[in-house]
Amino acid sequence: MSDSAALERGYRRWLRCYPRAFRREHEAEMLTVLMAGARSDQRRLRAAECIDLLTGAIVMRVRPRVPRTNRSVFAVVQLMCLGAMLELATAMTLLVSLDQVRSNIVTSDPGFTAAAWQAVVTGQIDPLAISAGVAVLFLLWLAWAYGREKRWPGLAFALFFAATTWSLLGGLSRGSFVYAQADLAVAAVLWLVELAVFVLVVHQSLRRLALARSRPARAGTG
Amino acid sequence: MQEATFLILTALAAGSQHGYGIISDVAQISDGRVRLRAGTLYSALDRLRIDGLITVDREEIVENRLRRYYRLTLEGCMQLAAEAARVQSNAATALARLGPAGGVAL
Repeated sequence: MSDSAALERGYRRWLRCYPRAFRREHEAEMLTVLMAGARSDQRRLRAAECIDLLTGAIVMRVRPRVPRTNRSVFAVVQLMCLGAMLELATAMTLLVSLDQVRSNIVTSDPGFTAAAWQAVVTGQIDPLAISAGVAVLFLLWLAWAYGREKRWPGLAFALFFAATTWSLLGGLSRGSFVYAQADLAVAAVLWLVELAVFVLVVHQSLRRLALARSRPARAGTG
Repeated sequence: MQEATFLILTALAAGSQHGYGIISDVAQISDGRVRLRAGTLYSALDRLRIDGLITVDREEIVENRLRRYYRLTLEGCMQLAAEAARVQSNAATALARLGPAGGVAL
């Protein structure tokens, strides 16, 4: 096999990291560019080329695919990512402040035993930490899909926000006041960010609906 | 606007170019300081196409290899002109403030 054929095979292998739709449209011209930029005696990819192709592939897979002029979609995507980071911060804060939570419970209930604490950890704290992890992944997934102009993430987020609000109100009414102040502060910030996303998503949906209604009317008058 | 984006748009300002032509032109415009690689170039071109600043002009097959030429759209021209004016204004202010001490007589 010639040097250039081996090199081309190597480039093709790395280009498989790109999304299929992008590859269908750009693989041939990218190969042209890659082969034109290679040294005449080059047989293998250089490390810098591999890193560049891998970075490009990740960017193509993750980055929103809407024009930058569509600021409201970008704002929703960014706030969803911020929400994911805050979910993570909420879980971390809770885990770090476990001692504070325990002492708060003991203060309000002096007969609180070690066995009862264990039950709180397995029955409430662990599920909260796990659900926060799931929420992080879910929010990142929604942000990714929203940045691709799919409609369902808006509805999915509205349901998620309703469930989060319900759970937050339920937790507060059941005595979440025993949690450390830091936990409540991070949770409050998270809820406000999610509220902002919810408002933006509803606003965009209403605007889309208004546009869809005005189109047939315009077509009728035109 | 990022420097690489500015340089790609500048490379396309004189007329349509294919991928490798843009890489060579960007290196020349920047005196070899910015050397784009294929992954970086096609990420930028994809973003610029989504934003409506560039479009595909034509395609050619040269020695069994596809060359796709890109060109600026009207919006791309306007944004490049606005960015160039902004950079020029900032540079003029910097040079004016440096004055003779900066080795520049204005």
